[in-house]
Amino acid sequence: MSYIAAGYAAALVTMGLYAGLLLRRRRRLEALAERTGGDAP
Amino acid sequence: MSTPVAAWSRRRAWTVRAVGIAALVSLAATVWLGIWVTPPDQVQHDLVRLVYIHPPIAWVALYLAFGIGALGSVLWLWRRTRSPFWDRLASASIEVGTVFTALTLVTGSIWGRPTWGVWWAWDARLTSTALLLVMELGYLALRRVPGDPEARARRCAVAAIIAAVDVPIVHFSVVWWRTLHQGATVLNANLSPTIHGSMAWTLLLGFVAVTLVFVWMLLVRLRIETLEQALEGAELDEALQERWAEGDTEAALASPAGVGEP
Repeated sequence: MSYIAAGYAAALVTMGLYAGLLLRRRRRLEALAERTGGDAP
Repeated sequence: MSTPVAAWSRRRAWTVRAVGIAALVSLAATVWLGIWVTPPDQVQHDLVRLVYIHPPIAWVALYLAFGIGALGSVLWLWRRTRSPFWDRLASASIEVGTVFTALTLVTGSIWGRPTWGVWWAWDARLTSTALLLVMELGYLALRRVPGDPEARARRCAVAAIIAAVDVPIVHFSVVWWRTLHQGATVLNANLSPTIHGSMAWTLLLGFVAVTLVFVWMLLVRLRIETLEQALEGAELDEALQERWAEGDTEAALASPAGVGEP
């Protein structure tokens, strides 16, 4: 059972961490874009 | 036509949020069914529970993420369809796909230890998947090489197409060579799944859940790529305007006689 827990934990934690990183990066860039007022292609 | 970079239409933001919620709910349902509801397998016993996440993650890593990456690269290279969007899409898809390829190897390894007795074997399926991960990391490194955006897009598109050759090798490795890895459970030669009942439905739900997670990540990553390119462009415009302003001042200082001319 420990292998099953390890497998699920590895998948869920990695996906969660990467999702968190993406959200943080998006939020920072949106704030920066709002300040500079650039244009998106 | 351009839109303000910070603005993201309410509809698009809502769509991304809806995909994210659907991904979370379906992933939670897969975990619940996979660990607590489905019965143990006759051969693999409880280890079959890892099958509800490992093949869906591999499907996203190999076929979906790399398929979109290769398609975006081809469409960027083809003059008729060339658009910065395809380059951004390929880049976003391959970056997200790299996470899933690494997870494919990790979850496979965790399943392999109690099944085969080893964490890793230089088996054709495992080795070709590891090679794909190395090529994906190479692609990401290539994207960070500074230079002209068009030259960067071109070399990355070529690299993605070269790496895509490995995908059919990974898929057919269990057919072409004698490997430790089991054959396809669903997409086998007879297209006859070797899994049934609640186990089959849970596996199907796993595919839907991981695909939704990928789609959500791709949409957010694509937004980041768009923002980064727009900000790069805005910074360049600002620098050029400053340079031109400096140039005007220098020209005015160099020819003081011209200042008073009508």
